[in-house]
Amino acid sequence: MNRRELLRTAGAGFGMAGLSSLLGAASKTEAASGPLAVRTPHFPPKAKRVIFIFLNGGMSQVDTFDPKPMLAKHHGEPMPGPKIKTDRASGSLMRSPFEFRKRGQSGLEVSEIFPQLGARIDDLCVIRSMYSDNGNHGPSLLLMNSGHGLAGRPSMGSWITYGLGTENQNLPGFVALCPGYPVLGPQLWDSAFLPSSYQGAYIRNSEREPEKLVRNLRNKELTLAEQERQLNLVSKLNQSYLSQIGHQPQLEASIASMEVAFRMQMEAPDVLDITKESESTRARYGDSDFGRGCLMSLRLAERGVRMVQLYFGNFQPWDSHDDIRVHSKLAGAADGPIAALLDDLKARGLFKDTIVMIGSEFGRTPMIQNSGLERVGNGRDHNVPGYTMLLAGGGVKGGMAYGATDDFGFKAVENRVHPHDLHATILHLMGLDHKRLTYRYSGRDFRLTDVAGEVIQPIIA
Amino acid sequence: MWRQIASTVCTSGLLLAADADFFETRVRPVLAKNCYSCHTGSRLGGLQLDSGEGILKGGNSGPAIVPGDPEKSLLIQAVLRVHEKFKMPPQGPLEPAEVAGLRTWIQSGAVWPAASGPPVPASTGEYLIRPEQRAFWAFQPVKKLPSPAVKNAMWPRNNIDRFILAALEQRGLSPVAQAGKRDLLRRATFDLTGLPASPEEVDAFIGDSSSGAFAKVVDRLLASPHYGERWGRYWLDLARYSDGDLGASKDTPYANAFRYRDWVINAFNTDLPYDVFVKAQIAADLMGPKDAKQTPSHLAALGFHALGHGPDDQVDVSTRVFLGLTVGCAKCHDHKYDPIPTRDYYSLRGIFKSSEVREYPLAPEAEVSAYKAIQKQIEEKKFEIDDFVKKHGDEVSDVLATKTASYLLAAWNGTLAESAGLDAETLERWQSYLKDPRKEHPYLKPWFDLMERRARGENVPLDQVRKTAADFQSFVLAMNAEKKGMDDRNYVAMGGAKGVRDERTRQYTNLESLEIVKYYLWRDLASDPYKKDFVDFKGGVYHYGAKQIDRFLPPLLREHLTSLRTERERVEKSLPKQYAFMHAVRDSAKPGNVKVEIRGEPANPGEEAPRRFLAILSQGEPPPFTQGSGRLELAEAIASAANPLTARVMANRIWQLHFGDGIVRTTANFGQIGDRPSHPELLDYLATRFVESGWSVKALHREIMLSSTYQLSTRHSEKNYAADAANRYLWRANLRPRLDAEALRDSLLAVAGTLDRTVGGAPVPFDDANRRRSVYGLVSRTTPDETLALFDFPNPNNTSEQRSVTAGPMQRLFFLNSSFVTKQSRLLAERLRGDDRSRIREAYRLLYARTPLEPEVQYGLEFLQRSGGSWAQYAQALLSSSEFSSVN
Repeated sequence: MNRRELLRTAGAGFGMAGLSSLLGAASKTEAASGPLAVRTPHFPPKAKRVIFIFLNGGMSQVDTFDPKPMLAKHHGEPMPGPKIKTDRASGSLMRSPFEFRKRGQSGLEVSEIFPQLGARIDDLCVIRSMYSDNGNHGPSLLLMNSGHGLAGRPSMGSWITYGLGTENQNLPGFVALCPGYPVLGPQLWDSAFLPSSYQGAYIRNSEREPEKLVRNLRNKELTLAEQERQLNLVSKLNQSYLSQIGHQPQLEASIASMEVAFRMQMEAPDVLDITKESESTRARYGDSDFGRGCLMSLRLAERGVRMVQLYFGNFQPWDSHDDIRVHSKLAGAADGPIAALLDDLKARGLFKDTIVMIGSEFGRTPMIQNSGLERVGNGRDHNVPGYTMLLAGGGVKGGMAYGATDDFGFKAVENRVHPHDLHATILHLMGLDHKRLTYRYSGRDFRLTDVAGEVIQPIIA
Repeated sequence: MWRQIASTVCTSGLLLAADADFFETRVRPVLAKNCYSCHTGSRLGGLQLDSGEGILKGGNSGPAIVPGDPEKSLLIQAVLRVHEKFKMPPQGPLEPAEVAGLRTWIQSGAVWPAASGPPVPASTGEYLIRPEQRAFWAFQPVKKLPSPAVKNAMWPRNNIDRFILAALEQRGLSPVAQAGKRDLLRRATFDLTGLPASPEEVDAFIGDSSSGAFAKVVDRLLASPHYGERWGRYWLDLARYSDGDLGASKDTPYANAFRYRDWVINAFNTDLPYDVFVKAQIAADLMGPKDAKQTPSHLAALGFHALGHGPDDQVDVSTRVFLGLTVGCAKCHDHKYDPIPTRDYYSLRGIFKSSEVREYPLAPEAEVSAYKAIQKQIEEKKFEIDDFVKKHGDEVSDVLATKTASYLLAAWNGTLAESAGLDAETLERWQSYLKDPRKEHPYLKPWFDLMERRARGENVPLDQVRKTAADFQSFVLAMNAEKKGMDDRNYVAMGGAKGVRDERTRQYTNLESLEIVKYYLWRDLASDPYKKDFVDFKGGVYHYGAKQIDRFLPPLLREHLTSLRTERERVEKSLPKQYAFMHAVRDSAKPGNVKVEIRGEPANPGEEAPRRFLAILSQGEPPPFTQGSGRLELAEAIASAANPLTARVMANRIWQLHFGDGIVRTTANFGQIGDRPSHPELLDYLATRFVESGWSVKALHREIMLSSTYQLSTRHSEKNYAADAANRYLWRANLRPRLDAEALRDSLLAVAGTLDRTVGGAPVPFDDANRRRSVYGLVSRTTPDETLALFDFPNPNNTSEQRSVTAGPMQRLFFLNSSFVTKQSRLLAERLRGDDRSRIREAYRLLYARTPLEPEVQYGLEFLQRSGGSWAQYAQALLSSSEFSSVN
């Protein structure tokens, strides 16, 4: 009998109603009440959960999913039109060093650096007309995560968990994975003014052992039986205290979180332990931080976590100012694991109601950047007027491109999509009306989409 | 269409002009109160509602009203919340009487009285603050009001209670019972010191039946050095304090930042008058003879600005912290809600722009200059060595490149380096480079083809091998020449040696570079190692850096390099520990105004903004500041009793920290978008008392804590709860569901008997061995202590007006399983003495300031019996219970 089973059956030994019910809970969805209880959406949803793979740093659109023949034709020439402003001095147009090829039934063109996603292009919706507001990483990361360029707004995962609760009461509803920290760190999965139950639980996926992935997950000194007895005592003490001080809902909520913690001890080690997967499965993801992160994301989604956000790497790996060819290494590291994740979501029947988002805070300029700060001088600067985001699964049409940038891939010109629109669409797929998902704070009703956002109907299956 | 409506209105306007009174009493106030924050100068949705013309023109969705037809008017549909898109105002529906007023006004033709002031131009022309903006509550002078009459005259202990009780009685609410003595003592002790009350303190208070017993407790706590540690830390939240450089891209520790932290703690402990406290943080270096007695010791106060990050940060933080105004919002456009024009932002920015960060050494001049001289020497030596190594490294690389063909041939033939007259290490490098034919350049492809043919067993003619090697060498040499030419030109373009070395003086330009595939070959042969943007390059085949260059140098040069290194080491060793200094600011040599940056873009300058105070807080046109940067004048304008915000904002913060919510809940935003005071008269009373007491923070604590309001219990009342579930009117005390991060950690150490109560000094890294109070722990800007962060320790990158109180499962895992809690549990268990019952009683006294109920003793005894007498496990359960970490 393993620890988890033992804890499950040990439930009967607990005197207090609260604890015994949680331990005896056969069904994970049996969450009677509390902030994470499953709530009914505004309308029937297409999707139940989200996996957001964040290629932090800024994936170049013109080298990946937005081919621009004109860029090759005018390679080395200044971009026509009025002088444009980028973050740093930008030079002339630079063709992509990578080949694009038509892939799948849809014939969408994909760069050679994403061969496996290319093979699955018929499952992907390529939004080529994303645009954003600010050319710096910080504000753009915040905008993509929270719908606002300044800190202090809840992230999308918090909003979704606030709106829908979560399907597994033994795990947090919103989990953020990164080997260390991306730029801005925990601000990106902050619940801000929403109750903290909706904050992203951070897991450092560079670690391998579950006890290191989540701090304090296991007691090093007490046996299971000892801890069981101890928790029973804590529960009695809390009840006694509550009966002395009377009606205190805040405290009751805090006591309830002890129960989630206890249940996490049972479930988290198991779900985060990717050695529970077969060797051939693990091999398809590879043994990189990102590969293991994709596999953990799959397992978390499978167990009913409402939203998982996986950062590709620490700081901002995709920030190829220096040398755009490095994108082939980055894509090489991302392509296989994401493809494996898509395959397994399908194989496990999760693809149809899981939204997979793949993208960055912004794109990269079609122009070369070579200002003396670089070593190689073959890179691209940040690009906010136009960039690409991929969606798959949960109610999204596959094998389609939506929107378009100009001839050079600089600016979105057709069916432009702001992060507000993207957020509105994700919420819509989850059965939430972005205009009705509000929270009153500091005297006004806040939304993920602020006062904007249009659902992108044409991409919905 | 639009014209038609406009003409209709003009007509009806003439006919109904007599109704101006109705407009002024029933319409304009409703619009001003509910709509003007967004629909005047900032014209959200294109809609401007402060003129007849604007309201008729309407916004992006058309006219706001149809005169004579309320039901067809967008305005009415929006306020009734029946319109599909518009449900206004966003902060909540209007009162029915207000809607009725608007309806009647539209029905009778929507007369906008002619003399009611011209509309303010949206973006051009002079910014005018309208009378109704000046009339906003927060900009009104603080009023000294008599305390109100109350029915239950027995309940109030002081004036605070009269204000609170009057508001309760007005709503038919009544205060619950007062808190018990133990709860009160525990609450007061946590409030003022962030530490649990000791059993002795509990006994003393319980035993003191005099009427002034609690006043004695408050005085004792206010006199404790731990008071300043608690309240100073709250100020540090606002001051976005960390032990590092806020502006740096990576963690850059400041070993002397703590002097500001200690100054703040000391200021609270000595009850430094708040006006001086404020002034010192803005302009201690400029404070005049009046404050001269204290000035030298206040220089550390300037850390408030010096530990910040430039003028924008300084404008934002100063106005939010001292004034409760979000002036930072006016950087790119006039403030959308408050009467703060962009020009005012740049007026303040000019003040900070005219000041510069400097260090004030706390050591003799000679020590400082000696240190700096050595530092400079070290830097010079470093550059000298770097330049030398680079110069000769490049030469070595170039010379080796001329033998490229020989290296290839030797690799081909497996010749030993010595016999071919080649460098052995370089040959090894070539051999290993040639192992993998996958290169980012194509130039060795012919060579790899030959290698592959031979591997297949083909006989490759030696001539062909020689020729391929020679061709490759020619290519390499030509490429090196090309690169050299480019480097020379780029060197000039970047601003010469200084530009190359110093990023700040480097002239950014579009530089020349080799065609990329050529660059890869060049890099693989000649580049030094580097890590950048996901690349970890280990160094080129011909590259020999500082640690490898020596053997290539002739004896004379080798000796020179060795002596340079020896010299550097000697100088480095002679560098003493850096002298102590304070992070402070001073006026720059040439203070001056800055220009408004239109839309916040530096490249788009507008009019010059005179250095002066905010217009909304001045009578008439604010006079320009003339003394240096103007910081002292700014400090005096802020720390003035006549300023309507300064005293209110601080009194409100103190109130919030005692009661959980402020009288204004948005403690750093007293503007339009902020909260309105629940007890405006009480707030003014507190502000008045605050100023009258000589800005004494401690006096304010005392008056608040001696009130019946503070001493309420947290008891539930069904009747009150039904009417005021959020306890906005304070019919009971708010239970604090969880101690904040520092109080929690400090309390765990305190009850385990291991807390080190030393006051002040350099920061201590957090680990299980650190027993100092948390306020003295190292505050890293980039890697926050994970446990403190788990319990909502604020992010030091921003000013934090209020701690959040989260309660996630990760926190409970800390209690269940962390080594820190386990250790304190064991230490706590060891402290308990006597028989089982008295040990349990002792634990309850230490942790909860009370004696256990009999069932609680029984739970403990049963647990101990079952756990084989594990007191450590029992102690951990007590520490994990909600009672330990909440305050009743």
